[in-house]
Amino acid sequence: MANAIQLLADFGRNFTLSDIREQRVDLAFCKAPKEQAVRLIRELRDDAGYTHLVFLTNTDYIEQGIFTLTYMLHNYDARHTLGVHVDLDRNAAEMESIHNLWAQAATYQRELREMYGIRFPGSPRLDEDFCLEGWDQIPPMLKEFDTAAFSLERFHSREGRGSVDPSEHMKTLLYPTHSDEPSSGGS
Amino acid sequence: MSLKDLISPFYVWQRAFEKPYTQKRPIEDRPGAPRYRGFHMNSEECIGCGTCESICQNHAIDMVPVEGLEQRAGDSGLRPRFDYGRCCWCALCVDICTTRSLHLSNHYAWVTEDPDAFHFTAGTDAMPWNQNSLGYRRDDDYHLLVHDRVEMQALSAEESVAGFDEVMRGYTEEEAVLEADRCVECGICVATCPAHMAIPDYIRTVRKGDYEAGLRLLYETNPFSSTCGRICTHRCETVCVMGYQGDPIAIRWLKRAIVDRVPQEKYREILGDEVEENGKTVGVIGAGPGGMSAAYYLRRQGYAVTVYEAQARAGGMLRYGVPSYRLPDNQLDKDLEYIRSLGVEMRFNTQVGRDIPFTQLLDEHDALFLAVGLNQPSALRIAGEEHPRVLSGLRVLDDVASGKDPGVGKRVAVIGGGNVAMDAARVSRRLGAEVDVLYRRRIEDMPADPEEIRESQAEGCTLVPQAIPVEIRNASDSNQVTIVWGEAEMVADDKGGRPRPVLQEDRMHEETYDCIIAAIGQGGQIDFIPAEFRDRIEFKWNKFVPGDYQQTGLEKLFVGGDIANSRADAISAIEDGHHAARGIHRFLSGALDG
Repeated sequence: MANAIQLLADFGRNFTLSDIREQRVDLAFCKAPKEQAVRLIRELRDDAGYTHLVFLTNTDYIEQGIFTLTYMLHNYDARHTLGVHVDLDRNAAEMESIHNLWAQAATYQRELREMYGIRFPGSPRLDEDFCLEGWDQIPPMLKEFDTAAFSLERFHSREGRGSVDPSEHMKTLLYPTHSDEPSSGGS
Repeated sequence: MSLKDLISPFYVWQRAFEKPYTQKRPIEDRPGAPRYRGFHMNSEECIGCGTCESICQNHAIDMVPVEGLEQRAGDSGLRPRFDYGRCCWCALCVDICTTRSLHLSNHYAWVTEDPDAFHFTAGTDAMPWNQNSLGYRRDDDYHLLVHDRVEMQALSAEESVAGFDEVMRGYTEEEAVLEADRCVECGICVATCPAHMAIPDYIRTVRKGDYEAGLRLLYETNPFSSTCGRICTHRCETVCVMGYQGDPIAIRWLKRAIVDRVPQEKYREILGDEVEENGKTVGVIGAGPGGMSAAYYLRRQGYAVTVYEAQARAGGMLRYGVPSYRLPDNQLDKDLEYIRSLGVEMRFNTQVGRDIPFTQLLDEHDALFLAVGLNQPSALRIAGEEHPRVLSGLRVLDDVASGKDPGVGKRVAVIGGGNVAMDAARVSRRLGAEVDVLYRRRIEDMPADPEEIRESQAEGCTLVPQAIPVEIRNASDSNQVTIVWGEAEMVADDKGGRPRPVLQEDRMHEETYDCIIAAIGQGGQIDFIPAEFRDRIEFKWNKFVPGDYQQTGLEKLFVGGDIANSRADAISAIEDGHHAARGIHRFLSGALDG
């Protein structure tokens, strides 16, 4: 849609939009402040033809201390998709719910609560288990969640497993005498 | 309710005694989508680096030896074995694979009654999908690894040729961390490094900014880390797995990044080297990298070490053969002075065989380590080479290192294609000469380091490949010399060796220069070994052939460095010295009796 950037420029008069980027002719992105995002999305739905919520997802930017939500909206008439990014403080991750705009958003929000611990006050069945029944760890999509350690602890391995370190293996076979005895002062 | 309704539930019981009927496989094969993530495949490009194992979040991969597969330089001989009880087909292993050998086939249906069959080594175990050409492969523009090396700041060619300042300026802390971050820590390089340095471990210390821990790791295997951080032949980088899709890790520069950040005054405290005298003495002949490395490791074990050196200063070829724009004197001294600070006794200007007999050293010491290097320039073997304006490359470098003017004049021809030839050419440029480098084979055949070749060209040396010197004549001016050389054609070798240059006698050239610098290699000199010992020591072409732990048949004598190995580089000499120190310790403590 040639006028996606124009559209966002128009919206920019009432909203503080940033990082406006046209990725493809049928796909554009922008970033909105947390306080304005739901009002923006509502106006995009009601006034600009973006009637379909394609999905709602999140990315963990642990180094910057933020989560970035992505609301993916689609305009069937214009055959155009618009992604709205919203940064949240990672340490106080809470966002206004949009289940009143699209009922299915409640499911996405329930998933985000489970996978990242993000709160959406008022969203139906928010705290019910989504797909992790009986989960007792920190939310698993957080970058600090150690997937490998969890997997090793939780699931047993088949018998007969065993791995060899490549450089140790090569040392044993290729240059076994080229190492210091413990008494040599090496450690 | 009818009687039938009442009885019919019990009809199912008749099935209870029948054999269960399970369909063995889908009635018809349904091929997976073209990019479906099915069972793993692994091609011959795999070198067993284990990066797939490291990234797997499910611990589904083990690296295992495979029968019939030999480990060699750059290939651990291990291959990934997959446990499909744990695999979740995320394909991170495919995305990270350093050689792009690992794929997923689109084969997803496989039925067997043996659960252990779902635990196999992809690529080497015979599986029905091994020839599958579809499935998941990493996209060309999707990269989890960083392929481009962080370039190091360097003097421009104009700046570098103007003097003897160090050309490479070293990484900043930030650059070093970025470069260290590219390393996947597979450790494939360790076997190829002649000294088997703990490369992934010290690279990790750069990433953490823990240079003291880094220094301790370096000194476990190499007491010339400041030197090697600059001029090492970095064989490790030739097998670095990152080189398969991009630039190998700048391992040499990362070593330098550690030593450049630790002042020499702190070495003793950081390394914690304490010497407890053990009452035995070892003589070391030659104060080059081999001899001084042996001195360091022997001293750490309490031996009284005396080093006999023909020259006035320590360092050997590192001092007299490597110009200061590649290795500044103060960096070599940083390494040497630390070794000497452990109490190594130095006897300079003492050439064994001339100033002190070999037999005396053999009597005075409990063991000897000999690493005298190669210091006899090889002859050109053409008529007229004794002309006074024919200089040796080593002599030119030696003069410059000693602060003397070698008097090369304004127009110089260098003959040779190794590092000494490149250094002689670059030194001559710095002394203001126009330089032609004549080499008998092609530029890609030159044994010099590629960066030396590149930098010599950037500094204005003219490389003349496929040029065979034929004769040297007097020029009309007695301060000049004329060389006759012919063009060469490269002819394939019938025996499978590298192509040979063949002189084209109809294409001869004659040029006059102020001097000709011959730098076609060096040979050893072993005359100082008395005849009575010769038949107990193995020699080949004026070089020693050492046995286990660098020991010779004269069991008190251990040898190493250029005069005893074919690699003739500093890092190999350093390892020879270290290995001989291990051998001498075993010998003198009774564990090795020759």
